[in-house]
Amino acid sequence: MQITEDETEELAPPVGPGTRVLVMTAAAVAILLLGAAVGLLVRLPGADTTNNPGTGSVEVGFAQDMSVHHLQAVTLANWAREHTADPAIRQLAFDIQSTQLEQVGRMKGWLMLWGQPEQPPTGKYMAWMAGPDSHGMAGMTMASAMPSGGVDHMPGYASAEEISKLQSLSGAALDSYFLQLMLRHHEGGAPMAQFAADHSGVPAVRVLAQNILASQAAEVKTLKELMTARGVEALPGN
Amino acid sequence: MAGGRKTTKGGKSARSAQAALVAGKGKPWGTIIAVVVLVVLAAGVFGYTYVQLNAKHEQEAALAQWTPSDTNKDPSDKITGVVKKDYPSGLHVQPTQRVAYDQAPPFGGPHDGFWADCMGIVYPKAVRSENMVHALEHGSVWIAYNPDEVSGSQLDVLKQKVNGKQFLMLSPYPGLDHPVSVQSWGHQLKVDDVNDPRIDEFVKSLLRNQYTYPEVGASCDALGSGQFDPANPPAFDPSKPGPDAVPMSGQGATNNGDQRQPSGAMTTPPVVTSTTKPNG
Repeated sequence: MQITEDETEELAPPVGPGTRVLVMTAAAVAILLLGAAVGLLVRLPGADTTNNPGTGSVEVGFAQDMSVHHLQAVTLANWAREHTADPAIRQLAFDIQSTQLEQVGRMKGWLMLWGQPEQPPTGKYMAWMAGPDSHGMAGMTMASAMPSGGVDHMPGYASAEEISKLQSLSGAALDSYFLQLMLRHHEGGAPMAQFAADHSGVPAVRVLAQNILASQAAEVKTLKELMTARGVEALPGN
Repeated sequence: MAGGRKTTKGGKSARSAQAALVAGKGKPWGTIIAVVVLVVLAAGVFGYTYVQLNAKHEQEAALAQWTPSDTNKDPSDKITGVVKKDYPSGLHVQPTQRVAYDQAPPFGGPHDGFWADCMGIVYPKAVRSENMVHALEHGSVWIAYNPDEVSGSQLDVLKQKVNGKQFLMLSPYPGLDHPVSVQSWGHQLKVDDVNDPRIDEFVKSLLRNQYTYPEVGASCDALGSGQFDPANPPAFDPSKPGPDAVPMSGQGATNNGDQRQPSGAMTTPPVVTSTTKPNG
């Protein structure tokens, strides 16, 4: 018993300075660990030693997805311009085709400079609108219903069947369906442009996104006027 | 019990008891617990971040493996079974002409001036090869299948990969020596299973790969009836090309002008007339 008591006393010695050292060491370790974690997060976007926007960034995502989206507008407009008999449709189609193809060239040019493929390699679209990934802090997620892995279909994007249908039509039926598909296409692409305009840190990307929003809003008006004049109803969103 | 004993002991060595008491009183339990909790939390944050980023890096590395870049120009070099051939581009034949292709399905060589629609199109019937090859020159990938061996749910797997996906096309190819053959300009991979992961790897590596197709930025849009009508495309010709067919060298084909000229294509040396010959 006596021995046990002595041992108890020895196990709880006065350790004032020892405790202080322990506290300081632990605090230092904690700070280092947190610093290392922050370092991992902060370093990532520029990990390739260049300042190019990387995979998963708003810039790369916007350039890839918007060029796919735009290129379909070019396909629709190419076909309409080649096959319509209506001068107003032909003029609109020429405007859409030439403007959007030029903008696709800008976006694909950026992708070439950034060493990124033309299309998202995952085969999924709009993942870049799901909010910040590695270079953001958890909890600061942006208000978005986008699943982090992206989606198979972009709003406004026509299906292969719809394209085939357009190609099978002629005369007024062709004009009407072209207007319907193009209106839905313009309106469907707007949220992508809006997101890039709001969230990209690269001025050229922001400027193009803002310009797409403004010019397509004007074109939506024209489309609606042409549709009203022809008694054509808008298609529901897709 | 212990307290009682301690009291009795207190008289014995008051100094040591007092020291123990002071030590006990001065020990900053709150601080120690806070520090331990902090260290554990910090370790947790670091560990979580590290594991998450590691998983992300692995995922990106897996994708990057098949993404063309300046240091990885042709990722298909890592795919087992890919056949590569170098073809001169820009050699055009007329809609009435045939090309004596060296491969089946062909994946390069002279071709019709009108390209096949390659904007994510599923052709239900076999299409004239001369048009399909032109679409490859524009950076598309053509998935061909043997209609006797691939149908139903197997065919649906291939349709899923192509339908509505820009720069892809799918068509049957009668007499194909494997169930599936995937082509891009100068590249071919033949596989036996529609679920072979190499199909997707091939597509990722070569679809619009700026390092491997001749006409960067070229269109895949349908030209329309009279040229190439996607609803009624020129049919595949299963017969052997006759002696009048254009050979792979391009002899008898029209050259597209600014394109690379194959050595065999020029039958006569260029005639320099006196009017174009610079003086001096």
